[in-house]
Amino acid sequence: MMIHLLKQLNVRLLSGSYRSIRTKMLFCFLIVTIIPLLSLGALSYYQSGKVINSQFGKYGENAVAQLEQQTSSYLNRMNQTTETIYSYLLDPARADLGDNIPTTYKEIMDKDDFEVLLKALKTDRTSGIYVITRSGYYYGENNLDVSKLSRIPAWKSMSDIPEGKYWLGFYLQNHGMNDSDSTEQPVLGLAVPINNPYGALRGSKILVEENAEDLLHMFRLFENDTKAHLKISDLQGRIVYETASVFSPQDSDIVWNKTLALNLWTIEARLPAKAFYRSSGIIRSNTIMVAVASSLLAFGLAYLFSSRFTARIRRLKDAMQKVSFGKLHTRTQVEGKDELGSLDTSFNSMVGGIQSLIQEVERSERQKKEAELKAFHYQINPHLLFNTLNSIQWKARLQGAEDIRQMLYHLTMVLEGNLDISQELIPFGRELRMIEHFLKIQEVRYGPVFEYELECEEPLKHYLIPRMTLQPLFENIFFHGFEDGKGAIRLNVREEGNHLLLTLSDNGAGMAPDKLERLLLPGSAKRKGRGGLGVQNANQKFKLHFGLQHGLTVYSTKGEGTTIVIQWPKKEESPHGNSANH
Amino acid sequence: MKKKISLFVLATTLTITMLTACGGNNEIANGGKTQPAGGNESAETKTLRFATWDTGDALKIQQDIAMKFEASHPGTKVQVEAYADGFDQKLAAGFGATNPPDVMYMWDFPTYHQSLEPLDSYASEDKDLNKEDFYAGLFNYGTIDGKLYGIPAGFTTRVMYYNKKMFDDANIPYPQDGWLWSDFLDISEKLTDKTKKQYGFGVRAENDTYDLQGFVWSNGGSYISDDGKTINGYMNSKETAEAIQMFGDMVKNGSAVLTGGKGQQSGEDIFKGGKIAMWESGIWPLESFKQAGIDIGTVEMPAFPGKPVKGVVAESALSIAKDSKQKDLAWEFIKYYVSNEAIKMRVADLPVRISVVNELKKDQDPLYKPYYTMLERSDNTPAFLMNTKWNEVNRQLSAAVEAVVHGSDALDALNQAVKDSERYLK
Repeated sequence: MMIHLLKQLNVRLLSGSYRSIRTKMLFCFLIVTIIPLLSLGALSYYQSGKVINSQFGKYGENAVAQLEQQTSSYLNRMNQTTETIYSYLLDPARADLGDNIPTTYKEIMDKDDFEVLLKALKTDRTSGIYVITRSGYYYGENNLDVSKLSRIPAWKSMSDIPEGKYWLGFYLQNHGMNDSDSTEQPVLGLAVPINNPYGALRGSKILVEENAEDLLHMFRLFENDTKAHLKISDLQGRIVYETASVFSPQDSDIVWNKTLALNLWTIEARLPAKAFYRSSGIIRSNTIMVAVASSLLAFGLAYLFSSRFTARIRRLKDAMQKVSFGKLHTRTQVEGKDELGSLDTSFNSMVGGIQSLIQEVERSERQKKEAELKAFHYQINPHLLFNTLNSIQWKARLQGAEDIRQMLYHLTMVLEGNLDISQELIPFGRELRMIEHFLKIQEVRYGPVFEYELECEEPLKHYLIPRMTLQPLFENIFFHGFEDGKGAIRLNVREEGNHLLLTLSDNGAGMAPDKLERLLLPGSAKRKGRGGLGVQNANQKFKLHFGLQHGLTVYSTKGEGTTIVIQWPKKEESPHGNSANH
Repeated sequence: MKKKISLFVLATTLTITMLTACGGNNEIANGGKTQPAGGNESAETKTLRFATWDTGDALKIQQDIAMKFEASHPGTKVQVEAYADGFDQKLAAGFGATNPPDVMYMWDFPTYHQSLEPLDSYASEDKDLNKEDFYAGLFNYGTIDGKLYGIPAGFTTRVMYYNKKMFDDANIPYPQDGWLWSDFLDISEKLTDKTKKQYGFGVRAENDTYDLQGFVWSNGGSYISDDGKTINGYMNSKETAEAIQMFGDMVKNGSAVLTGGKGQQSGEDIFKGGKIAMWESGIWPLESFKQAGIDIGTVEMPAFPGKPVKGVVAESALSIAKDSKQKDLAWEFIKYYVSNEAIKMRVADLPVRISVVNELKKDQDPLYKPYYTMLERSDNTPAFLMNTKWNEVNRQLSAAVEAVVHGSDALDALNQAVKDSERYLK
């Protein structure tokens, strides 16, 4: 799992995608986690290592001190024993103790007394107390074979030293009379030559041996406990005791030293630095293990968290990309109520807005297309129509039918405006002129029975209005409002800020409220026949050209007339629009 | 941000937990080692302490007997305490601290009887003991001032061992009961061959004066007067000196070798090595001689011309400490120890019960017969029973004897010993 993650990371790093937020976050996390972790681990290792090392150092020192004390107690006891014997022999009353086998009653009594002392000096630990004379005779328990004394490693070399105490060190006691008496137990030996010019047994040697099993056992315990190499050597450098295992001293060894006060033996315990620092080494490896494990854990958690975090951003990014490719139905999943969640929500509503806008545009474009198609559909060959009308007009003039000729003339003018589909927006004045032609036709038809009142300032006539918007409204007035063309029509146009406000009112039949309601609803026109179509078309045209907020507002009261109000933005004709005229 | 913190805290806690967990483990490991020591058996089990001076095979036999006793007495544990060489010291220390063993081997009744429980009532009231089955003289050793302090557990008399092969090689007939010391000296001389370091007899460098009493008595001498008050004229009498001098002379003229002294092998070892032809001792080394493959014979001690041969009995008895808290149990143990069953197990001692001897026909066996002959001849009272100060006297006597075997004149040495000892008897 971890290896896999690392591989992935590696791949990402190599492929250069380390610039991703996730990778940055991951590194951030790792740094934030690992630096305190490692410093804490290092600190705890350093501290506990220091404590342990000093403890262990003290322990070793104490242990060596204890060894020294134990050994000293052995040596002191032995020393005491020899001194007691020595001073006993200095007593002039013992002068009769001889070097040779005692044979007389007196000698034997003296020997017995002396041996009683030797026996009394014996403790549980003592394995032998002997006084060996120059002749080879000895005092003490009858289990010593003097000829075997040379088996003691240090015995021979002692003969060269005529005075002073001679510590024989550790050896196996195997100088018994019988081989079965030789217990082969390890003993610590002390030999003291008697060389006082006064007193008995001059030239003899006192030999004291103590069972050293316990002491050696302590040494071994120490060695096992501390893994140290123990070496005891005397003043001359002779090694009295040394740990059995092979050992090569190093300068880096930890050394505990003690010198025995009595005989100046030095106890030296050497511990290879490696072994000494083993405990703290264990702590170190544990700390490292924990740190590595924690780092991996931190890495894993950071990876999981950052990927969770960045996954949402990534998802949003992907959604945006999809939208940019035109997939407007794309929505991103909203997760949580944090900043990212509200970002998601905003994104979704934004895309929703865009989508509905685009749909609207699409729809209006489609309607424009449809209107154009319809226009095509109704387009008759204008030349044929106009030529025919001109011919009829010409014929009417020839026959003196002036009113027909007038009607034809005005019809031609209205048709011309109607059929010119090259421009959708035309100056307001042009539309007004076409209305006048239309009214002329009506006048011819009904006679001068209606009133038309126009209020429009001249400059307003330059602003644009969708083509063929007013004429159908006038047509509606004549066909639905007036009876036999009788009535009054008022057209008022004025400026209102950036807008033009057109009010068209008549005093015709008016409309019932339900009819009025249905008038501007798209699709209702088909049911109603031709009546509402002109109003709706006009309304649609304003909305198409100027936006949905513009269009027609119709007020009507049945029997009193209808008022239509149109408001649209002022828009002047561009020079290009004029040139496109034909 | 919250997550970051919790992650960090988690990691840190983990580290600390693991570190402390290490320490905790150590403590647990250390704690695990200290277990409540010992059992509470003592509450239900009665422990009987039994002190012996024996070692080696003899000790092994005693431990077996103790185990059998435990088996037949559930809830009892017999703790065999082998004091070996330190027997006297340790026993004295135990009595001094009023913490002696319940049951102990005993021979020195004059010294210790004040610390011992009188056993008369036990012995006479308990019919199981069957006092009449014991050799009659044995009870005398454990009786002080008319009170019985020890039940005989084993005994031995002293006989003369001889190496049959060495006799055969020298074409000397085996010694027979009723022989004289002069015969003994002749044989010794004949069997001595210094070139082969071979001797007719071995003389102990350091004798136990107790063992020599048989010879002194045989010569009509004694260490002490019959009333136990006088040694002058007894210990240094002509008869006593003669008997001891005889051994000194043998060493001097070379027909015997000193043994067991400094730089000397023990007599038993030399005898086993076939380098001394005759050896005087109790029954103790018999088994080891047999095991060493020596073809041995035994014969009663030689006699001085016209005088009856006298023997000395070395007896071991069992006693109960006065301070023992469980005397009844101790008595049960003693009774078992001297029962036929236990006696048969103890081959290093001569059986104390006549019925066992008869059953095993020991007195018919030529190898064992001399012990019983000598027992019949052991009707003198040993000196230590006659005077409570004997131990003090004995030191001087021992030195004198040692001086004699090392070449001093017996009469001179004994005179000095008497002179030095008399002050103890006043």
